[in-house]
Amino acid sequence: MSANLSSDLPYTDTKPRGSADFYFAINATFRFLIAQLGREGWIRYLEELGLGYFAPVNRQWGAGGLTAVARYWRAFFAAEPGAVVDVVEFPDRVELRVTECPAIQHLRASGREIVREYCQHCYYLGAARAQTAGMTMRLAGGNGQCCHTYALSSAGLAPQDLNVIREAHA
Amino acid sequence: MIGCYDFCGHYEWTFDWLERAGGHALVREYWNEAINHDSQRHARDLIRREGFEGMAKYWGHTLAEESPELGFSITEAPDVFRIDMHDCPSKGFLLRNGLESYRDYCDHCIGWIGPMMQETGFVIDHEHNHRGQCWWELRVAGSKGGHSAVGDLAGEKDVRRRTDWSSLQTPIDGYVKATDPDAKVKPESNREGATTP
Repeated sequence: MSANLSSDLPYTDTKPRGSADFYFAINATFRFLIAQLGREGWIRYLEELGLGYFAPVNRQWGAGGLTAVARYWRAFFAAEPGAVVDVVEFPDRVELRVTECPAIQHLRASGREIVREYCQHCYYLGAARAQTAGMTMRLAGGNGQCCHTYALSSAGLAPQDLNVIREAHA
Repeated sequence: MIGCYDFCGHYEWTFDWLERAGGHALVREYWNEAINHDSQRHARDLIRREGFEGMAKYWGHTLAEESPELGFSITEAPDVFRIDMHDCPSKGFLLRNGLESYRDYCDHCIGWIGPMMQETGFVIDHEHNHRGQCWWELRVAGSKGGHSAVGDLAGEKDVRRRTDWSSLQTPIDGYVKATDPDAKVKPESNREGATTP
C-alpha cells in the first residue's frame, strides 16, 4: 500500500497489510455475539461499531462525499490481504465490486466454519456508516463475491432486500 | 466490511461494548469462548499436543507475522517458555492511533491465553506495563518457585532491563502462576522509588 493510500485510512499501522488470521477472530466474534445476544444484539453491535469506532471515516465521507468514499475503500482493500476489488465511481454512487472477499477466502482456505450471516455484517455496518454521512448503502451477493453500493440519496436506490445477500459457507 | 488491517482497533472497541452490554462476565466469556475456543483453537490444539514446542511454533509464527520488525524475543529452556515483548504490535497500534475505549487492553492476552494454559496444563507468570512492553513465562502447572530474575533467562533481551520498563504514570500489572485474568497483582516495581524515565 502506498503512503498516499494509507493516509486515506483513519487508523494506520506500520505494516502495509493486516494479518489474515484476524479474520478468524472477526468470524468468532460474530458467532459469539449471535449466540449470546441474538441476531438483534449482533446487529446493534454492528450499528454502534459503525457510528462509534468508524466515526472518523464517516466524517470524512460527510465532508468529502463520494470521492472520499471511493478513496477510503481503495485504501481499505489495499490493506486487506488477498482482496480483489474494483472501486468504480459514478456521479451518484460508488460501487465496490468484490471479486474475491479476503475474509471469506481466508476462512474457507483455513477450513473454518463461517458464520452464515457473515456477509450481512457488511450491510448493517455499511448502512449505519453511510447514513451518518447522508448517504445510503446497499449490498448484493455474498459468500465471496458481492457488490456494495454507496449512493447519494438522489440516486433513489430501492430499499435493501436482505434476500439478495447470500449466506456464507465453507 | 470489518477488516484485519486495523483489527486491534475494533477488537479493543469491542471489549468496551461487551462490558456495557453484559458486564465483565461477558468480556471474560468472550475471551474464552470466541478467542480461545474458536478463533485461536489452532493454538490450543498445538500446545495441548506439543507443549513447549507447540508454543514455539505458535508464537514464533504469529508474532513474526504481526511484528515483522521483530519487536519480541522468545527464550526456550527445559522447564519454561519465555516471551519478551519490546514493541507489541497490537498495543502499539492503539497507542499510535490514540485508541483507548477499554480500561486495560493488555488484559485480553491473559483473558484468552490464561484459560488456554489452564486447559493445556500450564501456568503463567507475566507483567505488562501498558506501553507495549511485557514478558511471559509459561511453566507446567504445579511448578514451584518464582519467576526468573532479570536477565537470567533472556539476557540482554529481557524487557525488564529497559530504562523505560517501569513508570509511576502507568503502573505495571502482573500475574503469578496464574491462568485467571482476574488474578492480577501489583508487582514490587510499582512501589515508591520506581523509576520514571
